[in-house]
Amino acid sequence: MIKFDHVSFSYNKRSVLRDVSFLIDSSERVAILGGSGEGKTTILKLILGLLRPDSGSISIDGEDITGKTESELRDVRMKFSIVFQEGALFDSLNVKENVAFCLREYTNLSEEGIDRRVRELLRVVGVENAIDLMPDELSGGMHRRVAIARSLAAFEPAMFLYDEPTSGLDPVNADIICKLIADLSRDRRGFIIVTHKVYDAMRVADRFIFLKEGAVVLDGDKGMLKQATVPELSIFMSELNGNCEGEARCSK
Amino acid sequence: MTLKRLIDNLQDYYMLAFRGLTGIFRRPFYLSDAIEQMDYAGAGSFVIIVLVALFIGMALSLQLSAEFSRLGLRMYTGKAVGITIIREVGPVMAALVFTGRVGAGMASELGSMVLGHQVDSLRVFGVDPVKKLVTPRIMSSLIMLPALTIIGDALSIFGAYYIVVFVSNQSGHVYWRAIRDVLIFENIIAGSVKPFIFGFLIASISCYSGLTTRGGATGLRQSTTSAVVLSIISIIISDFALTRILLYILGFSV
Repeated sequence: MIKFDHVSFSYNKRSVLRDVSFLIDSSERVAILGGSGEGKTTILKLILGLLRPDSGSISIDGEDITGKTESELRDVRMKFSIVFQEGALFDSLNVKENVAFCLREYTNLSEEGIDRRVRELLRVVGVENAIDLMPDELSGGMHRRVAIARSLAAFEPAMFLYDEPTSGLDPVNADIICKLIADLSRDRRGFIIVTHKVYDAMRVADRFIFLKEGAVVLDGDKGMLKQATVPELSIFMSELNGNCEGEARCSK
Repeated sequence: MTLKRLIDNLQDYYMLAFRGLTGIFRRPFYLSDAIEQMDYAGAGSFVIIVLVALFIGMALSLQLSAEFSRLGLRMYTGKAVGITIIREVGPVMAALVFTGRVGAGMASELGSMVLGHQVDSLRVFGVDPVKKLVTPRIMSSLIMLPALTIIGDALSIFGAYYIVVFVSNQSGHVYWRAIRDVLIFENIIAGSVKPFIFGFLIASISCYSGLTTRGGATGLRQSTTSAVVLSIISIIISDFALTRILLYILGFSV
């Protein structure tokens, strides 16, 4: 359970989040929507303790994390699996070593065991043929899929966090990523997806939080999202309305 | 930059430098990362150091030979070259080359890791970025810069030998005897303490600049530039301070 209680945050005196409050259960499928610079990614970083709020408190499973030290936050972070924008794979390591990174850090698996686990995870995300490639040899979609495999390697996360997982991808790759996100959440493991692509968000999420100027202006389900009268949200929704096929698939 | 911000930055730098240095003695040891960094910093800088050292030695020898010839003191060329290279020019020259190649590389690599969320990924995976990224770089600089300085000193002396013997037509035997006389404990200590300090300064400043990168490509340019500029300034200032302290400790009268 993630609880934001009147959280505010600013970067170099520029206010990014203003008095944000919400409660998200770890089994929920939530999409955080909003334009660039509205604080969507900041919310994910605050959940993981990578940033500290200026005011307000953040609790994970009832535990206030705002004052925790880096070593104390380790246990909190292990509850989540995050896929950063563009994947954030380590440039100097190939795909196998990227996925094996946490396995080497936290398990005593033999080299054979690591190889088996890495191949298994790459098969799950459908990029087993890329095992020996370097990150700069991967396409955008493959990047994200390897990042998802890496995030699953060593821990059993209670919840997934995705930062713009489909941005910059062609519709085919975006479709693969959306399916993967939906598949991974089948065993009641929820996720928070941060995106500005309403079409992708509506395909995978049940709850929608819309940010405008750092504040939550909408928090509700698909019906509320479609009926909302926020002007900026209407512009976002026009992407969806313009895509008849997308509508049909969403309602399906 | 406000005074408060400057003090905050200095405090952050000291913390990072301290944690990066003491990380050498704390588990986990990222030895493979340190070896990779040593390969990049040491083997990668070897050719540049060879070239620069050789030509600095030759240029220095030319200048001193020309001036000493006018004064009738040509026999002192070897001694002057030896002292200048071992105590002063060798360590500073190697450090400046190291800054340009390795320091800039460290800052830009870490900066792009910050911008690409790779450092955040390390933190999420429970890995201390200072231990994983800064300590191996400090360790490699502490080992590789002194090694490169010794190689550079030797090559400068050989370069100077070429000029003294084949251009200035002096005796090679006299030159080597002067160099042997210069290789005393005091001079060697004076020249070998500096590379350790310079190596630590270059690595810690460059890592700090890289890890504090903000704001895309422009931010990366700024952090790489500040890594090089601050490293050069700190090398020159600390060289003066170290020279003053070492001369005093080793009993040289000024």
